[in-house]
Amino acid sequence: MTQSYPSGQLDTSMFRGTPEIDPTTCDRCGTCVDRCPTGAIVRDGDDHPIGINYDTCIFCSLCVEICPTGAAHHSPAFELAKKTRGELRLTPVVVEERDLPGLDYAVLENLLQNKIKHIFGRSLHIREVDSGSCNACDLEINALNNSVNDLTRLGMHFVASPRHADMLLVTGTATRNMELALVKTLNATPEPKLVVAVGACACSGGIFRDSYATRNGIDAIVPVDVYIPGCPPRPQAILYGIMLALDRI
Amino acid sequence: MEIPADEIRGLANDVNSRLDGSLISLFACDERTRSREYVLRYVFCSRESGVLIVLITRIHEDAGQFISIADQVHAAALYEREIHDLFGLVPIGHPNAVPLVFHGNWPQGNHPLRKDFGKSHRPSFVDEDVPFQTIAGEGVYEIPVGPVHAGVIEPGHFRFSLAGEPIQNLEAQLFFTHKGIEKLCEGMSFERGFYLSERISGDETFTNSMAYSMAVEEIADVRIPLRGEYLRVFYAELERLTCHMGDLAGICLDVAYGFGAFQFRLLRNWCYQLADLLTGSRFLRSVNIPGGVRIDGIPGKESEILKRLSALKRELEDTAEIVRRQTILTDRIENTGVLAKKTAFDLNGVGPGARASGIPFDVRKTRPYGAYGRLSFDVPVMTGGDVSCRMKVKLEECRQSIGLMVQVIEGLPAGPSSVAIETLPARQSAFGITESPRGENVHWIMTGENGIIARYKVRTPSFCNWPVLCHAVQGNIVPDFPLINKSFNLSYAGNDL
Repeated sequence: MTQSYPSGQLDTSMFRGTPEIDPTTCDRCGTCVDRCPTGAIVRDGDDHPIGINYDTCIFCSLCVEICPTGAAHHSPAFELAKKTRGELRLTPVVVEERDLPGLDYAVLENLLQNKIKHIFGRSLHIREVDSGSCNACDLEINALNNSVNDLTRLGMHFVASPRHADMLLVTGTATRNMELALVKTLNATPEPKLVVAVGACACSGGIFRDSYATRNGIDAIVPVDVYIPGCPPRPQAILYGIMLALDRI
Repeated sequence: MEIPADEIRGLANDVNSRLDGSLISLFACDERTRSREYVLRYVFCSRESGVLIVLITRIHEDAGQFISIADQVHAAALYEREIHDLFGLVPIGHPNAVPLVFHGNWPQGNHPLRKDFGKSHRPSFVDEDVPFQTIAGEGVYEIPVGPVHAGVIEPGHFRFSLAGEPIQNLEAQLFFTHKGIEKLCEGMSFERGFYLSERISGDETFTNSMAYSMAVEEIADVRIPLRGEYLRVFYAELERLTCHMGDLAGICLDVAYGFGAFQFRLLRNWCYQLADLLTGSRFLRSVNIPGGVRIDGIPGKESEILKRLSALKRELEDTAEIVRRQTILTDRIENTGVLAKKTAFDLNGVGPGARASGIPFDVRKTRPYGAYGRLSFDVPVMTGGDVSCRMKVKLEECRQSIGLMVQVIEGLPAGPSSVAIETLPARQSAFGITESPRGENVHWIMTGENGIIARYKVRTPSFCNWPVLCHAVQGNIVPDFPLINKSFNLSYAGNDL
């Protein structure tokens, strides 16, 4: 009953998957650019192809439905996590300046890359923090604990306190009321540590960006090691992102 | 119907007590640019007949206050505090008018749902104390829990007051996941607003998008095709099944009964896999659309669906049979977290949590929508009001959901599943009310020009049930709190918006 992914292949035939735009058949009409609910589809200058910023994409597949030429289509790809936000995007991103509620809380930078991976490679303790999501990402993270996905076979498990954690899995947009809690949780996590942003909200604010109560991505206030796009990303995609953070991919 | 603002107390009390009208929503709209007023709507629903009574009052823009009805109609308490925070109108006579939405980091005088407050305007942070209720006495102490909780779960802060083991008082401070959904929706096209409605609460995706779509369809005066109505029942019941499986797993987990927890989690994953197979989305995202159902998913898969539902039912019955005999579970869940029927009624408790306390209300029966009126199903009601009753009610609802899904597959009409809706008339409003897995779910939309949303009011069942939960824990020991919490399984995001 337990899936063998990541060591075995996954049957992706029924996945809705990732929207992609084929530049050879795209006629640059811009219908998708105008109607994308989160503004994730962008033109990279006038002569350049239309593409998708996956940190903002909510995978609603409206673009696939309305594309007049069929250039927008689904691919079964789900291993989308990247270590930098720029790798998920066609156009550059401007992350807000780091400003925190109050000057007492310092954000520590994560510098010991290789050493960390070596230490964590065998066993990983994960603390999950919901900084203001709709809960779908949290439910998919919860699904990593069931008999089908079974995270513990890979030496990973969830802990109750950030003080026991090696990695923070963060969902949600870092809402106004959760900013302090997120930063305090990060500070309570001992070094060395990793931070993984799970889902469109944590990567870029998702469909809640530019609101009075949200941030456009948690990287506005905490350093992020891996970004996992999706709305929500399926459990295997989250697993891929965690493994990427450990350089186990 | 419109009434003068100073008559609201008497009339609201009459509707509530003599016409059997529960207050199901109370909200404001900023109409100052049109008529220099705020418009308040008090929405009552008769629990017997399902009839809606809406009392409308107008508050002049200079008045800055309105008369509270919370001491008589107790369900109004939180709505009035919400209006206070988001519109800046003071509820005169409110018994506990402290901030609800913002946690001491929000500067005074900023009210986001006013039309002149910019959607993306982020005021700087301040640092003020938020008062909690305290209890004084010999040996009384407080336990604060959260907002970050030990499990993989949404954030919320709980302040317990205890004398020894039993909980004397619980105050929940929520709105940690407040994202400003209602404000974000204003000015959006109704196509775009749909995607926001799906993401109010992850495991209520379908029911929220359905309530939104129903409101849009009523404004557009469109009847969706019958096939679409049947499909909506199917997917809504699949979502109910998924949600309840998670609740049952959570209850077993919180008494450290591992077998039960993992069995129900497995069943939940089977539900997700079915959703994946039919729609490509485990959470049924992008399945609904204003106008019907966008992703049909059923053709060619009918026998596979019936096979899986039959396997699910068998496994569920086997698991339930084993689980109900385990004293590790029954010792903990019987007589724990008893919710009194009167409390549930006064605060407009909804859903399985209230049905386990003897309140028989279910939107699917009292205000049938879609194809529910054509299908046969029962709504379980119990009277014990403890965790065990809530668990039994959810188990029975699972059986009923499977039965409904089978009926849909066997009787699914042919034809299209949706019709296109191109535009909406301006300045029209409508309700979309559904029975979410957690209970009665009330959405209201008012359109602006050119198919834009001018106001979107969402009231998910969790908003009503959180205060109810705070009453149910009184007298129980602290270790039973997670259990009682899971037995209601409320959505924080659905409350906070």
